Amino acid sequence: MNTVLYEALRARRVTRNMTPEPVDSSHLDLVVQAARYAPNAGNRRLQTIVPVADQRMLQLLRQVSPGMVARPMAAVVICIDTARAVDFGFDPHAPGLFIDVGTAAATMLLAAQAVGLASCPVTSFSRAAVARLLALGPGQDPRLIICLGHAAADQPPAMDASHQPAHA
Amino acid sequence: MAEEGAGRQLLSEAAAVEVLAYLVTAARTQIDEAAEYAPLRLMTAAQKLADSISADASAPVRALIAAIATMPVTAVPRSDRDAYVARVDEICVAAADCLLAVNPPDSPL
Repeated sequence: MNTVLYEALRARRVTRNMTPEPVDSSHLDLVVQAARYAPNAGNRRLQTIVPVADQRMLQLLRQVSPGMVARPMAAVVICIDTARAVDFGFDPHAPGLFIDVGTAAATMLLAAQAVGLASCPVTSFSRAAVARLLALGPGQDPRLIICLGHAAADQPPAMDASHQPAHA
Repeated sequence: MAEEGAGRQLLSEAAAVEVLAYLVTAARTQIDEAAEYAPLRLMTAAQKLADSISADASAPVRALIAAIATMPVTAVPRSDRDAYVARVDEICVAAADCLLAVNPPDSPL
């Protein structure tokens, strides 16, 4: 058993309070690169990964993202490349496209843990507003934002600490 | 000491736009979110507004802001709905008290 890997995934937490300590650009790069190693259907890679390190843009992103409680010092936006998906014959709402967003996100969350960064995935944001702020092309559909930073000592309580994963 | 009264301006344009942006984007995200997030989003909007006006607020408004701040940012009406409702009711009472204080009986309509 790879106890180091298991401990990394066990210790990862959703971090909703981050310090102003900057995120090292090399660490952000490692998190982004990790998406390449995520399992992806047919290795088609129909997701676009957009790193955000500009502090003004991060502040604006937060203002159109009701689910972004943390004030991240960096972020990664995972988009579905709907134009390429259609070229492959996909319906833009095909579930597989969203599953691959999830695998990319999970892999990058673990990569963040590996380089010592706190993280928080966010799906509650205005996709239209985020696309405008980031000047995304018409085929790019932002679906998930990973907030990155360093965890503050005090964290808000979990949404529901009593919840445990269901077993079949 | 902040000047008392209901007619003072407490909010900068930038802070107002932040609250506006939050409200309209939350209206959109709520379409796809769990229903339990509706009060969470409204309370977060209230906390954003409270944070923006706290520096220059009068004493009654500061009391309301303090009441709003008691709500954890992740609280939703899930596992202990009654406690959540009681907490929101307390904040609503604080809002009523604040309204009475900043709109005294002799104030112009």
